[in-house]
Amino acid sequence: MKDLKHLTWFEDLLQDANNELIVQAQREGKKCVAYVCENTPEPLLNLDGIFSARLRAPRTGSMEMATYYLTSFLCEYSRALLERAIEGGYNFADCLIAPDGCTMINRAVENMELLHTMGKDKDSFFYENMEIPMKADDNGLNLFVLQCRNHILKPLEEKFGIDCSDSAIRKSVEEHNRVCSLIRAIGEFRKGERPTITGYEFNVITLATYVAPKYLLLDKLEETLEELKTREPDEKNAFRARVLIVGSEVDDPEFVKLVEGTGAFVCADRFCYGSFPGRDCITLTDDEDALTQICRQYMYRGQCPRYMDQAKMVGRREYVKRLAEEYAADGIIYEQIKFCDPWAYERMIGSHVLHNDFGYPVLSIDRPYSTSGTGQLRTRIQAFIESIEIKKIRGGV
Amino acid sequence: MKAEVMTSNDKRIGAKNFGGAYSDGRVRKYREWRGVTDTLYDYSRWLLNWVTMFRVVLSKPRNIKAMFRYRWMANYLAVPMMVDRHTQGLRGEHLRICHAEQDLIIDDVAKLLDKLFRGDRRIGNDKAFSDKVVLVDENEMQSVMMGFPTLVPLSREIASTYIPVLLNQRAALHYIDVAQEYGLAGDVCPMPEAEAGVSIDDDAPILGKCAVQCNTTCDGSLLGNGIISKRLEFEDGIPVFQLATPLRHQEDDVQEYAAQEIRNAIAFIEKETGEKWDWTHYFECAKRVNYATKCRIEWLDMNKTPYPQVFGSNLALYTETNYMAISGRIPAFEKADRKITALAEKAYKKKKMAANEYRHRAIIWGVQSHYYMDFLVWLLNCWGIVPLTDMLSMVSTKMIAETDTPENREQAIFDIAWLTENMIMRNRTHGGYKVLLDELWEFVESFNADMVILWEHMSCKALDGMHGMFEERARERGVHLVWVSHDLFDPRVISRQGVRDQINSYMRTVMQEEPVDPTLEVLNDAESW
Repeated sequence: MKDLKHLTWFEDLLQDANNELIVQAQREGKKCVAYVCENTPEPLLNLDGIFSARLRAPRTGSMEMATYYLTSFLCEYSRALLERAIEGGYNFADCLIAPDGCTMINRAVENMELLHTMGKDKDSFFYENMEIPMKADDNGLNLFVLQCRNHILKPLEEKFGIDCSDSAIRKSVEEHNRVCSLIRAIGEFRKGERPTITGYEFNVITLATYVAPKYLLLDKLEETLEELKTREPDEKNAFRARVLIVGSEVDDPEFVKLVEGTGAFVCADRFCYGSFPGRDCITLTDDEDALTQICRQYMYRGQCPRYMDQAKMVGRREYVKRLAEEYAADGIIYEQIKFCDPWAYERMIGSHVLHNDFGYPVLSIDRPYSTSGTGQLRTRIQAFIESIEIKKIRGGV
Repeated sequence: MKAEVMTSNDKRIGAKNFGGAYSDGRVRKYREWRGVTDTLYDYSRWLLNWVTMFRVVLSKPRNIKAMFRYRWMANYLAVPMMVDRHTQGLRGEHLRICHAEQDLIIDDVAKLLDKLFRGDRRIGNDKAFSDKVVLVDENEMQSVMMGFPTLVPLSREIASTYIPVLLNQRAALHYIDVAQEYGLAGDVCPMPEAEAGVSIDDDAPILGKCAVQCNTTCDGSLLGNGIISKRLEFEDGIPVFQLATPLRHQEDDVQEYAAQEIRNAIAFIEKETGEKWDWTHYFECAKRVNYATKCRIEWLDMNKTPYPQVFGSNLALYTETNYMAISGRIPAFEKADRKITALAEKAYKKKKMAANEYRHRAIIWGVQSHYYMDFLVWLLNCWGIVPLTDMLSMVSTKMIAETDTPENREQAIFDIAWLTENMIMRNRTHGGYKVLLDELWEFVESFNADMVILWEHMSCKALDGMHGMFEERARERGVHLVWVSHDLFDPRVISRQGVRDQINSYMRTVMQEEPVDPTLEVLNDAESW
């Protein structure tokens, strides 16, 4: 296929946590709200005068300092973030908001705070830890709303003078939804027998929407969507199978590239930093305040394994099944970043359910944070793709 | 900081060369000689524990059947030896305190086993009894059951994994392997991993009208529950309520949420069992909870002086049982609290020591090695390091409402929530770094400790995540910090001698000391229960 016009530009945004759009937005006088977990409602971090940047640590090398503070038993994502923070790589942030999504991220952020890694030259810098619900019900919603008020809106208002009114939140949701709609529309091109966008390209574009100010991405996203409408697919399909990736944090597009390098087309992305459910639009009605509606939708749509009620647990596997059906996946890759406790359990149970109850071929893997050049991983995925192919040749037996 | 060396003025008959009793096999070569009175007392308690086990468990045919059905049951034959491991070197009041604690726990666990098999569909199949049972988590505060006098809260995990590892260091290995063969990563905490393994292996009794699970200590325990509840709900037909307790339990703005979770849990139990919450019974239990707290505070205050009396692994085990599993529901524990306090006061007045020599005063922090729970006894006897208190014993000291008034009924819900948030271990592994990191140094100061023994349970991410900060704070304060790594339930990763060697090498190389009892320094107990 012909290269996407803006792909290199999107790729460049992912080369550094402090990317050019963050620099531009701050130059325009906006404050950067850094955050670390998909359970943080993004529209609240993108009110007038602020923008969100979800932290990642591109081009991570040594993690020795972070390993000293966190030991080698914490997941490499949390260690990579701490290492980057100690190195001064997040000095651009004006505050850091961290829900207690998992223990490891919580400890990484606490170490950032204890080591005074950020905000040295910023008087108004603040860290906020917040509780988020572990069950989707009315009590959980009350907690979520209260926590967002106390640990997001209140400090933003007090420290930066941000307008956190209902109308301001509704305006932010509108902008958020524009980005989500564009990503969803772009993602649609992954459907069909001859997709006109690769999983890698889609992953790069989606990732950019998490780490850069959204309003500065809109024109490029719109252009890309237009471009895709007329993009011609390759005559011969380069891919041998369609796979859905499910699992923990993936903020490195090299992982998707690695999977596609083995001949598998990544048709859908159900992982932290992926588009499902992170790029679902938020529907607002006028009969209830926007904050409550946002929290409700984040809570009910959330696919994070920290949700412990049975409805959520069962729902997570059904959600994967629905995605696999919608995007015509031939197989599912359940992945977890090594040492991630929540996904270790979810991967185990999910891979059994999707295989035994729903009949999908499943590859279950754990992986390092940085996956480029991981030969063992490539070999395992290749073998999985070959097994899917053999099944297809045998008529699905 | 240097601690004063103290030597016992008591005779302490036979309290030397403890290493000589160890064999290469599963049991020790001989029982400890403690002088006529103490030996007879200890032997009578040893017999009493056998009597308890026969009377409560082994005298009933259904329980013998369970012995053959459940692989973990065989470990209970090692109960008397577990007590022996914890009484090493103890004389007089200290020996009696230890037995008051341990023997009551044994009695309680024996009753737990009997009840589990009575209701078990595969064994006793007493449906009427099973309908009175509410299953609870291993690490769960049972305070939510304080107002249900006619219901029986039972933890299958305490019986199948928690206690067996205390009895036999290899008890959980099979279940860990089962979970990993099923696809669970090998780097998660082996406690929920083994509990999940029991469920995957279908090796837990099936009983109960309903179950209440809780997000207890860590992400692992939260997620492990999912596997257990899947079998409970979809295969065994036992409805499960997930009690979601806030992680940042020190914050005011989570307490209403926590209280509502308790209200919902009570409503769930009422609906499933048809029983009603009984406020009179609740406040009776609350009085006993407060009495236990008062006693524990008194013991800890004694431990701040040069003559600590109730300390070490006995304190941890007893607190864990009394504070968490009993929650004021069983009057026998109040009686034990009274007896232990009286013995401790008596010994304190006489300035009694529990070992030949005290050289260092240590706070034990982190999550202890479960397969080597008597390590603290070894620490005391081998190196003269006094384990003044440990992380598991430093739980809530808040008095709860104990008089039945309309206001207190509302307060009681918040009290139950507070206790649930502050269950053992959870009160430190969750709640932010202040409760784990900052409070440790406050305890070091208030207990006048010169050393911190910091268990590094390898797969405990909450503790690992503060590793570097612990070291930095220790250096700033000039406190000796000794890391002791282990893998909680799995001695294949670090053996008991591997645990001891970490202390041995620190004491010899950094402290440049010789052991108080050199026969304990290297022991071949790899095959031991």
